[in-house]
Amino acid sequence: MKKRLLALLLSTVMVASLVACGGGKEAADEKTDDTTEESKIEPCTINFTYWADNTDYSALMQDIIKKFNEENEYGIEVVGEEIPWDGGGYSNTLFNTAMGGGSTDVATFKLSATPMFVNNDLLADLTPLVDAWEDKDDISDNIYSVMRKAGGDDKAMYVMPWNTQILYVYYRPSIFEKAGVEVPKTYDELMTAIEKCTMDTDGDGKTDVYGWGMRGSSGGQEPWGSFIYANGGSFDDFTTDESVAGMQDFIDIYTNGWCPPSAPSDGFQETVANFKSGLTAMFIHHIGSSKGMVEELGDDVGAFAFPASDKGRWTSMGDTETVMFESCENKEAAFEWMKYLAAYDGQEMWCEGTGQVPVSQRVQKLDYFQNDPFMKVSFEGMDFAGIVPILDTTTEWITSWKDVVQQGLTGDKTAAECMETMQKTLYQ
Amino acid sequence: MKKKKFNVYPYLLVAPAMLIIMCVVFIPVVNAIGMSFQSYDLRRPKDIAFIGLANYIEIFQDPLFWQSLWKTILWVVFGVGLQFVFGFILALLLNKSFKGRGLVRAVSLIPWVTPGVLIGLMWRWMYDGNYGVLNDIFRKLHLITDNIPFLSQTSTAFPAVVTTIIWQGIPFFALMILAGLQGIPGELYEAADIDGATGIQKLFRITIPSIKNTIMITALLRVIWVANSVDVIFNMTEGGPAYSTQTLSVYIFNKANTLDMGYASAMAIILALVLCTVAIPYLIFTFKEEDN
Repeated sequence: MKKRLLALLLSTVMVASLVACGGGKEAADEKTDDTTEESKIEPCTINFTYWADNTDYSALMQDIIKKFNEENEYGIEVVGEEIPWDGGGYSNTLFNTAMGGGSTDVATFKLSATPMFVNNDLLADLTPLVDAWEDKDDISDNIYSVMRKAGGDDKAMYVMPWNTQILYVYYRPSIFEKAGVEVPKTYDELMTAIEKCTMDTDGDGKTDVYGWGMRGSSGGQEPWGSFIYANGGSFDDFTTDESVAGMQDFIDIYTNGWCPPSAPSDGFQETVANFKSGLTAMFIHHIGSSKGMVEELGDDVGAFAFPASDKGRWTSMGDTETVMFESCENKEAAFEWMKYLAAYDGQEMWCEGTGQVPVSQRVQKLDYFQNDPFMKVSFEGMDFAGIVPILDTTTEWITSWKDVVQQGLTGDKTAAECMETMQKTLYQ
Repeated sequence: MKKKKFNVYPYLLVAPAMLIIMCVVFIPVVNAIGMSFQSYDLRRPKDIAFIGLANYIEIFQDPLFWQSLWKTILWVVFGVGLQFVFGFILALLLNKSFKGRGLVRAVSLIPWVTPGVLIGLMWRWMYDGNYGVLNDIFRKLHLITDNIPFLSQTSTAFPAVVTTIIWQGIPFFALMILAGLQGIPGELYEAADIDGATGIQKLFRITIPSIKNTIMITALLRVIWVANSVDVIFNMTEGGPAYSTQTLSVYIFNKANTLDMGYASAMAIILALVLCTVAIPYLIFTFKEEDN
């Protein structure tokens, strides 16, 4: 009797499983049919996941959502859900949510996370939607090109531009004046300025102002890249003589004592604190710091784009994009919201409120952005800005970057050995 | 002979607890063991396949693994060892009656109840090479002339993080040992006094033997917790500079963060086996003691 009952139970479970699988397939087929049909946008709800760096930005995003919900002609209702940035953990949280069958339709995004989402078929290809968009030329082809590269497929675009952060050099005019240097126009002049700004200002025989605020800890790979390219190197091959020379320049800044001894472990907070306190004369960051700098330092802060050498020029283009999930059932409606953020009122409100660099060329030309000196330096950098190659090894490369560079700074490895390790990690 | 009647009641009572343990411990452990034999890299989900011992072979050829394992041993030996020494001293002090003892007991618990993330951030700024309060104090005491960038040098970063974990763990040892001390009958000390025993003799002949089991269980728990802890190191140094503070658990965390779950799982299994070499002899010893 027991065996019969067990057999019956097992059969029921197996049949139920088969039914469930079959149902899933039918549902998938139906979904595919839907997407191939010419569809009209109907009132629906779009679930939007985003992060905000502070409570002001959080409120701003809610205002943008509210405005869109009130004004869009299709009756689309965006429901925003904020999850914390968590030092970059946002991408993993979003990934885990999506892998677990979460209901997000659109989310803010970082390019570096693209491979793990694309490799797991989580993102929708936006190419047909972008191609059909009448204002798509409002965003430059170069930016679309970067988005395509991130997905690893030139024909597909999984990421929609939203805003950028171009890195540039912040400097203290008062220290420049004391050191007798002008704003550098070439890479050589920059290196000279770094050396000259390293000073003993009170005559006690010890350095109390350092020329360069080096970020040797997490996130330092972006400013570091400018030194590699200025020497003619590139991220395509870290082992060339030019790339190694760039690394050597970076190490020399530390070993020559032109940056604080704490540089190997200095992250964002430390480099900002050192600059604001007058311990360093220059450091690299994007426009996100400008408001705080001006509030704290008034006129005693300026900015210039990382100077060119005759061998090359590069700066990092930080990025924030939006993505649409493949599971989104109302893709056209979701794209309306993405367009709103990329080129229309959503773009204007967000970039004005947060000081981020707009991707919309129409918005870039507005007086508000043209009159901001830090924004102008950002626009100047757009021509030569780039990103670290987006491969499925990029996260690992970024994680190990600080330790490899620290080995170079502390003398455990030579510049060439460091670059060889980086080459292996990124292109393994 | 009458067959003993099967009683389902005890099994029903333990079932909820067993179910929870199954869900939150057993299944994840089995899952991790399974992943450790696969190329389970979420960045390349289409390549996930059974690869046998390949992850383990790669780990044993990975110099960073050996370096991290060595750091883990140092981290545990110095971290837990000195926590015990200072915790023991604190417990002996707190066992004496003095005015305000209750307040001192409460205050001494602060490091233990502070979250690890906060401890990491707090000590990171205290150690700061430019503005850190420790450098300021050392300069004022004329112990140093130039600031020491504690967390930026490979020679000082590891001792700095070990000091932090010692500070965090002292109250736990003190609390456990104090509880043990209060269970020792006063008559033993009175008898020892009558026999003319010295303080040292009382410590080694009465106090320590009486709380031996408390010390053992506390030390074992701390060894496991400290070996597995990531929060303090990660928030202070992220394992740097130049991997000098990277313990095995931090290495596992970093690997898992890059979504190489197979490799990370294999390292986690190895760490668990290493910890078993400490835990199993202890448990055998404890059971034998109880049987006796």
